[in-house]
Amino acid sequence: MTAYLIRRLFQMVIVVFVVSIFMFFLFNIAPGGPLTGLQQQQRRITAEDRARIRAQYELDLAWPWRYTRWLVGWPDGPVTIAGNQYLADMVVGCYMEATPEEGGGCIDTVTLAEVPQLHPAVKSSRGIVFGDFGKSTVVQPGQPVFGLLMSRLPATLQLQIPSLLLALLVGVPLGIYSAVRQYSKFDYTFTTAAFIGSSMPTFFFGLLFILAFSVIPSLNQDQFPWLIALPPGLQKAVRPYELAPGWPTINPGTPVDLFLHMLMPVTVLTIINVAFWSRFLRSSMLEVLRQDYVRTARAKGLREALVINKHALRNALIPFITVLVLTIPGLFAGAILTETVFAWPGMGRLYNEALQRSDYNIALAFIYVTTILTVLATLLGDILYAVVDPRIRYS
Amino acid sequence: MTASATTTPLVIKKIEREGKEESQWRIVGRRFARHRLAMISLVIIIIIFALTLLAPVISPFSRDAVDIAVTARPGPPGTLSSAGEVHLLGVDHLGRDLLTRVLYGGRVSLTIAFIVVIFQELVGVSLGAYSGFYGGWPDGIISRIVEFLLSIPTLPILLITSSILIKTDAQLPVPAFVTNGLARFFDSTPQDANKVLVLCLILVVLGWTGAARLMRGMALTLRGQDFVESLRAMGASNGRIIFRHIIPNGIAPILVNASLGLAAIVIFESALSYLGVGVQEPTPSWGNMLASAQSYMFQAPWLPLVPGIPLVLVTVAFNFVGDGLRDALDPRLKR
Amino acid sequence: MQTKKFLVLSLFVLMAMVLGACAAPAGVPAAAPAGGEAAAPAADGGEFTVLNPVLGDVAVRTALAQCIDRDALIASVYPTLDAETKVALQMDSNLPKTHWAWSGPYDFPQYDVEAGSATLDAAGWTLPEGESVRVKDGESLVLKFVTTNAAFRQTWSAVMIQNLAECGIQIIPTYAPASWWFGDTTGLARRDFELGAFAWVGEADPGGRTLYACNQIPLPNNGWEGQNSMGWCNEVASNAIIKANNTLTKEDRAVQYDIFQKEFAKDVVSIPLFQRAEAEAFTTDLTGPQIDPTEYSSWNLAEWKLADGGDTIVIGMSQEPDSMWQLVSSMAATAYVQKPTGLNRPYVQANYDFAPFPGYQDALSTIENGLATNNDVEVKAGDTVYSKDGEPVTLEKDAVVFDKDGNEVTYDGTSPLTMKQLVVDYKFLPVTWSDGTPVSIADFQLAQKIDCDKESGATSFITCESIQDIQWADDGSLAFTVTYLPGVQTPTYFLSPFDHPYPSHQVTTDGRTLADVPAAEWLTLKEIAELPLSFGPYMVKEWNKGQNLVLEKNPYWAGEVATPNVIFVFIPDTNQAQAQLINGDVDLLEKSTLGAQFEPLLPAVESGQLNLEISPSPTWEHMDINLYLP
Repeated sequence: MTAYLIRRLFQMVIVVFVVSIFMFFLFNIAPGGPLTGLQQQQRRITAEDRARIRAQYELDLAWPWRYTRWLVGWPDGPVTIAGNQYLADMVVGCYMEATPEEGGGCIDTVTLAEVPQLHPAVKSSRGIVFGDFGKSTVVQPGQPVFGLLMSRLPATLQLQIPSLLLALLVGVPLGIYSAVRQYSKFDYTFTTAAFIGSSMPTFFFGLLFILAFSVIPSLNQDQFPWLIALPPGLQKAVRPYELAPGWPTINPGTPVDLFLHMLMPVTVLTIINVAFWSRFLRSSMLEVLRQDYVRTARAKGLREALVINKHALRNALIPFITVLVLTIPGLFAGAILTETVFAWPGMGRLYNEALQRSDYNIALAFIYVTTILTVLATLLGDILYAVVDPRIRYS
Repeated sequence: MTASATTTPLVIKKIEREGKEESQWRIVGRRFARHRLAMISLVIIIIIFALTLLAPVISPFSRDAVDIAVTARPGPPGTLSSAGEVHLLGVDHLGRDLLTRVLYGGRVSLTIAFIVVIFQELVGVSLGAYSGFYGGWPDGIISRIVEFLLSIPTLPILLITSSILIKTDAQLPVPAFVTNGLARFFDSTPQDANKVLVLCLILVVLGWTGAARLMRGMALTLRGQDFVESLRAMGASNGRIIFRHIIPNGIAPILVNASLGLAAIVIFESALSYLGVGVQEPTPSWGNMLASAQSYMFQAPWLPLVPGIPLVLVTVAFNFVGDGLRDALDPRLKR
Repeated sequence: MQTKKFLVLSLFVLMAMVLGACAAPAGVPAAAPAGGEAAAPAADGGEFTVLNPVLGDVAVRTALAQCIDRDALIASVYPTLDAETKVALQMDSNLPKTHWAWSGPYDFPQYDVEAGSATLDAAGWTLPEGESVRVKDGESLVLKFVTTNAAFRQTWSAVMIQNLAECGIQIIPTYAPASWWFGDTTGLARRDFELGAFAWVGEADPGGRTLYACNQIPLPNNGWEGQNSMGWCNEVASNAIIKANNTLTKEDRAVQYDIFQKEFAKDVVSIPLFQRAEAEAFTTDLTGPQIDPTEYSSWNLAEWKLADGGDTIVIGMSQEPDSMWQLVSSMAATAYVQKPTGLNRPYVQANYDFAPFPGYQDALSTIENGLATNNDVEVKAGDTVYSKDGEPVTLEKDAVVFDKDGNEVTYDGTSPLTMKQLVVDYKFLPVTWSDGTPVSIADFQLAQKIDCDKESGATSFITCESIQDIQWADDGSLAFTVTYLPGVQTPTYFLSPFDHPYPSHQVTTDGRTLADVPAAEWLTLKEIAELPLSFGPYMVKEWNKGQNLVLEKNPYWAGEVATPNVIFVFIPDTNQAQAQLINGDVDLLEKSTLGAQFEPLLPAVESGQLNLEISPSPTWEHMDINLYLP
């Protein structure tokens, strides 16, 4: 088991490393970024101005060095060993490129010795490995990415946790019941509904909800004053409102207000999860019910409820743990599509916004954390699987 | 001596196989036909296909024709164009005919789905069969890549890759006739058609692992079986064994995988386009039509339904067909 | 064998596709010479030196302008505007008709298909029988057109392409992502276009020097410096635009701009299409907002009042500010939020003109009111002076400068030379920081120190570099005198060279005094970038990222503040914002949020629930014509 764990952890590091280096490379070739639109204001930008602004975003350094600085905060200057400086003259980038007339190439290279003054410690990241996620470049220039992520995390959790709990409460019994009543009318309706639910695109589902519970009611409230129009998006209102004409006023920020805003996105997420989980549980339960020991238990004349609850259920839930564990990354990353549809100020929307506006440090930090969480969750799932199911051994 | 020894049994084998195969496929067809929802889905898919293929016949409007003389934009179904023609599904915010756009959007979305699925199955099947059959270091590398791709968060990575490649205006180095052909089919410029191919590439690269795992497992089991040993003893080349025996054996699960894959790709593509990093305007796709529909929802509540209904129909139908195929091909997995 | 080949093949295909997509940010294939591949090679003399054989011909450019129906373009993007407003959006020069520097009408080629066809016929581009595209010497008249993929631009582009097709000009459009078209090293910045459309934002100061002067043509050889991407060099126009930006009085400037605009109309290197329309809407319960083309309506926020006496005004915005530090933020959203705090350009720029910010300055420092003087000064070799190109240079032989009479002089190295020198007194009223400390002269000194520090993150230091000397008041008053370099004749000299003072006394969370914090760290200081102290009518109370930003009355502001609380809510989706305005969640939607999408508001406007003001925006769409081959 230890050897297995070590191997898996090693693989994990490699996965995270490869993903981050690949993303960094992609960003390196992408146009845009913090310098987009520099020429769109009517003012004079000299070559020196541009070089200085480039350097502010570390774009003067070659991308592999930028990557190592982002990853571990190195190189932050010449290599110092026992008081001696080495590699001070090594070229790590280009501050200003020469024009073709001047022969092309670089007229002002950046050497390791110049790095500390061009990129002083206060402006540099200590490295994401050490928990410094760097600074935002476009969305909130200069602000630490970590703080930005943390400011969005509560909103994401506010959606994810209730919908996960609800989905568990609804999905598990549904799946089990449907399996036990296989071939019944209920089972047939349920499987079809769950099937359709799990094959629908989430965001269209969200749009349908907004349409049905917000747009159509609010457009028809003149004729049908009893129609309730839910708020179509955002996390909370900014001023008092009514669900329908003549109803009590709801003040922004109150629990009722928060609840009403959560209602649609949480429902959408819950339905999707229920559809997937209950289908999974149903088939896993069916498989268990076909096993010999269940047949034996039944043959022994045990009551059906006992067979189901004691013997079958426990074993059917084991594979479900892996599925459950895989939702951990989602707690952090949020639901990109659902958050976008409902204009929910969570992580997923921040990520999408960072991509649209080319704020690479936010996007990279997001990918980095999400990848780590995904890999960890997979590993955790495997371990848990081995713990609860004695038949499985990793050696 | 070897020559005669190899040929005879194989011929027999082939005859046997063909006979068996025919009846087997007939059984599969019969079983599939019993799955009512799958049959309905198949019909729906065929209808939607036919509609998108017949787009120019069905709709008199051109895909991007902006009609600014129409004052009600977006306009409801039945809106009249400035020339007095009826827009059956109405017009969008630019006065473009929605029926035409939804049909061409279908062409784009479905073409992407088919290109991606065909390529990801091709890549997956060949890599999976090779790695399962030969083992050794290529297997190690391929398995590591598969594991790697399976352990990364798909949607965020898809988003980031796609958003960057869209921004770079990268063009795939494919022969001109491919882009020109696609451009004619989509009624777009070759550059726009090429952008669609870039999107396909991203989806293929991140999506071939399912088929590879299936095929690898199949090859692993089969390679140890007696008939492979005997084929080998008779001097059949490895290539022949893979192509004539291992891959055909894996075709059933691959078909199911492909059919479910079609649904998944349609969803992924529409999600990316909805978020603005997939198919770019003016080339329509169901996803980017939904995105623009959302901004006009309070004025035109029916707008999201125009691309949304076919999108849901297609994804659900592909899934049902996949489900039906699975039941038909593998009766042991009966629900 | 066979399988190995297959494996290699599939691996190769996969890799090739990955590499092909990743490693080749090819961009739009370099614009081929117009009219076909056979055009003259641009090999000798470097890039952008060979005149485009098609677009280099003024007749073709004139015909382009004559073939584009600007009214139809306007109608395509603003279908519900009334006829009067649509007319107000038309342009015939690079300046809006309401600008003081516009003295037209100018005879920029207007829409006239027949004239356009005639122009093309005369230029040798004839329409063969039965063809739809004109031909000259076997070349078809096919032009490549680039703009962004914004729906707005695609809309009017579609109409324009239709227009040009009617004249026998075929257009191949590319709707590129903005990050490519406006990228630092791609698209427009590399002149990668034949016809390229985008917008400029007009201001009270008409500027234009970086756009149209001969020495502002971006070329590989000058590091792509400048914004004259057409490659247009007309001596008369260039001199006029330089002089116009080197002259102090409005009257004298207007003369130069008039000369410039006449040349602009003659050469047709950039076709002004239309001014955008902007709408700002607010509930009729709200009184006070004055909608203006060049100033953010929030400048007089202190006067806004709700009919029911409510103490909170809610303003909807689609964009969220990126920082509360004006020096590094160029976003309109930042300016809109900051205007009532005094922390963003504390002067009023209404209706293309300048005025002091009430309560902060009594008057701008103009020559007319005696606060500024424009003296004659004798200069000699070795002095630092301002050159004709607008750069500080050491005066030596062959330096080109303007003398005291505004004439261009090439210095001979010895003889005496008299130049103009601006000396300006900037005076401010006593104001108090929102923590109760009065603003002191040290706060202005800190502003000079930080704004002129290259580490601060500011984009441009042109103003800082144009200063020769500063005298700070030592009598406790808020005043300083700036002596500019000889030759500096910046038209906006009456505005303080430093945007606003900084609270030098403020102690940061880590215990340092703001004055001691190096400029490099300011961008990340919470006290500067997030919750700065302010000295205007309002102060920033809290900023809930991604949701809203709350302003509160600055308790130490001497003037009146009608409504103590203002909440700026960030609503990315315009339609959602409109819905919130209609149902009363929001009191006002500012321009950049509403754009010109106001149709859903019309019923509420008719019922008297909303005020809607639609005005021509200073932002104008135009199509640049690249005169040279890449």
